[in-house]
Amino acid sequence: MSVGAGPATAPATARRVIDARGSWCPGPLMELIAAIREEDVGTEIELLSSDEGSRKDVPLWLEKAGQRLLAMTSEGGFDRYVIQKVR
Amino acid sequence: MAAPAVSPTMAVVLAAGTSDRLLPFATLVSGAVAMGYEVHVFASYWGLDALRRSRPAAAHPPVTPGHGAEGEVLERTLVERHVPGWRQILAAAKRVGPVHVYACSQSMDVLSLKREELDDLVDEVVGVATFVDRTRGASATYFV
Repeated sequence: MSVGAGPATAPATARRVIDARGSWCPGPLMELIAAIREEDVGTEIELLSSDEGSRKDVPLWLEKAGQRLLAMTSEGGFDRYVIQKVR
Repeated sequence: MAAPAVSPTMAVVLAAGTSDRLLPFATLVSGAVAMGYEVHVFASYWGLDALRRSRPAAAHPPVTPGHGAEGEVLERTLVERHVPGWRQILAAAKRVGPVHVYACSQSMDVLSLKREELDDLVDEVVGVATFVDRTRGASATYFV
């Protein structure tokens, strides 16, 4: 897993937003997995989660699945994960 | 990361039929399948009873008796927070990866249950020996 900006050549892509705020563990992770399966390679996915467990679980799953975490920010009350499907 | 040649195996015996067991059970299975485990569930007794087709999938069974007011708060919270039913969580897990749900044949007899009375989440009816054989070498085993 690589954290930070994607390659400079990455094309601007549509971003799919998954608002999983209020969903209990492992709801946000499971919604993310379903979205990764559905989307094409290159698609960015923005996941919103208020589940504290996601902070560990989401990066761990992304690393295992070989997907990229572009950003992870705390928004006060929830966290925002920006993910790119790369394979 | 190179994919491992063989998925790790998790074995879960589900014997409980109350929300405070079924929800952690479904959560555990979800996490396991998300992380690449092949999960085998042996549903017996009240765990199998909870899989009756006649029970609404979105409904929350009662919590285990003996928790008093806290149990009532939990039951209310599950409804108020729109927590998905444990069978809905299990169904989502089955869409993510291999989760095999077996109905314990002894429990079918004890509860006078017929195959057609069980939720479609149940893959097959087996005896305990088949479950034990299919989970030979499991790296994680749980009894719920």
